[in-house]
Amino acid sequence: MSTLDALEAALAVRPVPGAPRPYHFPPFSRGRLSGGLPLLTVHLPGRPLVAASLVLPAGAVDEPVADGGAAVLAARALTEGTERYDAVALVEAAERLGASIRAEAGWDATVVGVDVPVDRLAPALDLLAEVVHRPTFPEREVERLRDERLNDILQARADPGRRADEAFVGAIYEPSSPFARPAGGLPETVAALDPDACRRAHRRWPAFDRAGLVVGGDLGGVDVAALAESLFGDLVPDPAMDLVAGPAAGGAVERTFVRLVHRPGSVQSEIRIGHVGLARRIPDYHAVAVMSAILGGLFNSRLNLKLREEKGYTYGAGAGFDLRRLPGPFSARAAVNSEVTVAAIADTLAELRRIREVSVDEAELRIARDYLVGVFPLRFETPGPVVGALGGLVTHELPDDELARYRPAIEAVTTADVLAAARDHLDPGRMAIVVVGDADAVGPGLEAAGFGPVEVVRDDVPREEAAHG
Amino acid sequence: MPIPTVSFTDERLPNGLRLLVAEDHVAPVVAINLWYAVGSKHEAPGKTGFAHLFEHVMFQGSRHVAKTEHFALLQAAGGTANGTTWLDRTNYFETLPSHQLELGLWLEADRMATLLDALSQENLDNQRAVVKNEKRWSYDNQPYGSWIEKLYGHLYPPDHPYHHPTIGSMADLDAAALEDVRAFFRTWYAPNNAVLSIVGDVDPVRVRSWVDRYFGPIPPNPGLPRLELPPLPLSLGGEAREVVPDRVPLPRVYLGFRAPPVPDRRLYALEIAAQVLAGGKGSRLHRRLVREERIAQDVALFVLPFVSGPSIVAGWATVRPESSPGAVEAALHQELARMTTEPITEDELGRARALVETEELAALQRVGERADRLSMWATLVGDPGEVNRQLERYLAVTAGDIRAACADVFAAHNRAVLTYLPVDGAGERGEEAAGEPVPLADAGEVAVPGPVVDAGDREEAAG
Repeated sequence: MSTLDALEAALAVRPVPGAPRPYHFPPFSRGRLSGGLPLLTVHLPGRPLVAASLVLPAGAVDEPVADGGAAVLAARALTEGTERYDAVALVEAAERLGASIRAEAGWDATVVGVDVPVDRLAPALDLLAEVVHRPTFPEREVERLRDERLNDILQARADPGRRADEAFVGAIYEPSSPFARPAGGLPETVAALDPDACRRAHRRWPAFDRAGLVVGGDLGGVDVAALAESLFGDLVPDPAMDLVAGPAAGGAVERTFVRLVHRPGSVQSEIRIGHVGLARRIPDYHAVAVMSAILGGLFNSRLNLKLREEKGYTYGAGAGFDLRRLPGPFSARAAVNSEVTVAAIADTLAELRRIREVSVDEAELRIARDYLVGVFPLRFETPGPVVGALGGLVTHELPDDELARYRPAIEAVTTADVLAAARDHLDPGRMAIVVVGDADAVGPGLEAAGFGPVEVVRDDVPREEAAHG
Repeated sequence: MPIPTVSFTDERLPNGLRLLVAEDHVAPVVAINLWYAVGSKHEAPGKTGFAHLFEHVMFQGSRHVAKTEHFALLQAAGGTANGTTWLDRTNYFETLPSHQLELGLWLEADRMATLLDALSQENLDNQRAVVKNEKRWSYDNQPYGSWIEKLYGHLYPPDHPYHHPTIGSMADLDAAALEDVRAFFRTWYAPNNAVLSIVGDVDPVRVRSWVDRYFGPIPPNPGLPRLELPPLPLSLGGEAREVVPDRVPLPRVYLGFRAPPVPDRRLYALEIAAQVLAGGKGSRLHRRLVREERIAQDVALFVLPFVSGPSIVAGWATVRPESSPGAVEAALHQELARMTTEPITEDELGRARALVETEELAALQRVGERADRLSMWATLVGDPGEVNRQLERYLAVTAGDIRAACADVFAAHNRAVLTYLPVDGAGERGEEAAGEPVPLADAGEVAVPGPVVDAGDREEAAG
């Protein structure tokens, strides 16, 4: 047999997979410190870089309207000074351990954490405790971070993708919903934030529902419980603090319409299409995951195959739900060259209708299920994502077996479940279509296309007035 | 904390394919990383952007794989995949559940052996349109999006292939023809121009038998061209300056310097210097420009390593509205000069070393990163064993090494300075609310440029 014949003989036969090695999401243990804080630990042999996260129920959704942006600012300011350290001393102390302390607030939680080699876990957790227990929110540093946020809002205005995200949430939520603005806040409220607002945000949790310390890595020989007790055992909620329950996330779209944000000279249109979506805790979570993957989650999703691989309109198209404690947005997204703006929107709307009207076929379903099931172990190769997923259980008050049952639950999703998820949760008749692009180039086409009424937003405040500081 | 050593086998098939295999059974996953020693530096004049366009075509099917099937098969297997192109090289990689390794090898072999069987004008035109939208999205429609092209343009002369960016020009992309694809494939996509690394939960004997079966019969290219490049001095020999009007709200100052090529040891000193200068909130530039003087919104400094000519040290600072580009640029230069006049302290060096150690530990725990680094060192310097010497090379850097490297590189006659200034209308703020829907990254943690990344893998909505 010639070499080329051998090659053809080898390549003509597709390989058959071997037997999968059994996989289970790493088992974790749950305890409680004396002050009541839940402790979740997960031993991951062979992973000496430990991830630790303290999940606190202080999210942007819980802040009063006047404090908009305070949770995000407070998280950033946590590491700007404590009773024992100023900001520079704190970062230097962490760096000497080869550690960096992270503190971030999202809509639903504030997470303060550290990644550190296991042999320095104790001193790193000590720094973490210092930041959590004794932040001073120095006025001068809070002021600087506030100004940096205001400047960043300016920068976001010039970035077409960020501009589109911001215009999109403004289009789909009632103005009274916190989700109508970015978690980091808007100038109207951010400009007035001060150390007191940070202190209120930092302590805004009346109970330990949705709180927990999560530690993962090769913890052999480390008494994490004793360490956690000594540092966080006296952490208690503030019973005087009321949660400002975020108002139900009301949708603002009665009938599909177009909001065109004029960005002169844009060579692409950034497109967002959608409406208010879903909360994380829903009975059909796994069906929604499969439906989203088929519609816009996989590389070979319907939207990416149509807009990219068939039409060449975009570098990438996708769609999905941002699942929060209260319903976050559903959006389909793409950046397309300006000339094809109308065609790309029409194709996207057609896919949003098709997945509600006709059942996906078995082969599509199988690929999406197999992908979600197969990629699950890949996502949890290292401690960071494992700790992050356990933090998600804490934030969303999900049962301890949620991650272990993910794969069988995905396997059980049927074509009928996918169709029902699409019909129940997608409504192409009540979507906002947001386009950030050159209105002079794409406006007439959008008017003529008949997607719905077209509003044009022109940012025309002179720069000098907009600048602050 | 000792960094685990990557134990690997290093073999060469009769057709020249280099095979590196490292076992690791901690997780039931395997990574494949296939590097080809071809990048945008191999592009002829008038053909810029072609190496990257070609990489897109590699995902369009081959003799036994239909269009869209490459990803369909990998996704059904529970795998992720992508490809990247840069000045010196192109790579393709997959991470898979370990029982699906053979599928990944077969897919890589089928396109290495038979890509041209599936080539069509329609597929080329489709990916040309996709790449042009990638260029619009990543560069043309982005605030400050032209900076990397401008730095390459100033730091390398027009007759050097590092002068143009990997993404290329629209005109050249438009001109790419089927015959270009065929010639490029036949020249560069040969087993003797590739390194295949496999890392993870594998049986090395079975790996070797699969690789022999699928890759062994692929013919080499005995006439692999050698790239002859005009030698460039490590110093630019002058200062290049450009003022760039752009639709940006805040001015930004970019600096670029020529630096030694890989594998010159001075790059390790420059990496440590970049950490001391701009690696987080304890760094010199962040402390002075962002925290104390409050003239900059953010700062960045990093090394872009290349092998066929000078590397680049690049950085930027975004100018706060209360300040001016001139003041920010002056402060940047002063701090870079201070690396020479005020040598870094033992504490600064110790902190930088501790962070590098953690970064190495974090990177090497992922099978995909280990496979990438094995292929990278084998491709760029011929020795994959470098993967296990990186930490010692970083830790061997002394304060004197840093001072010497900084004195050479951060010189006025060795730099390009770009000043982005807002044009009228940029940064306007309207009636509507502005901002972004996610918490901000810390100032100082900035996205550092790298290869042009492709096919694009997505996260599912849930988890």
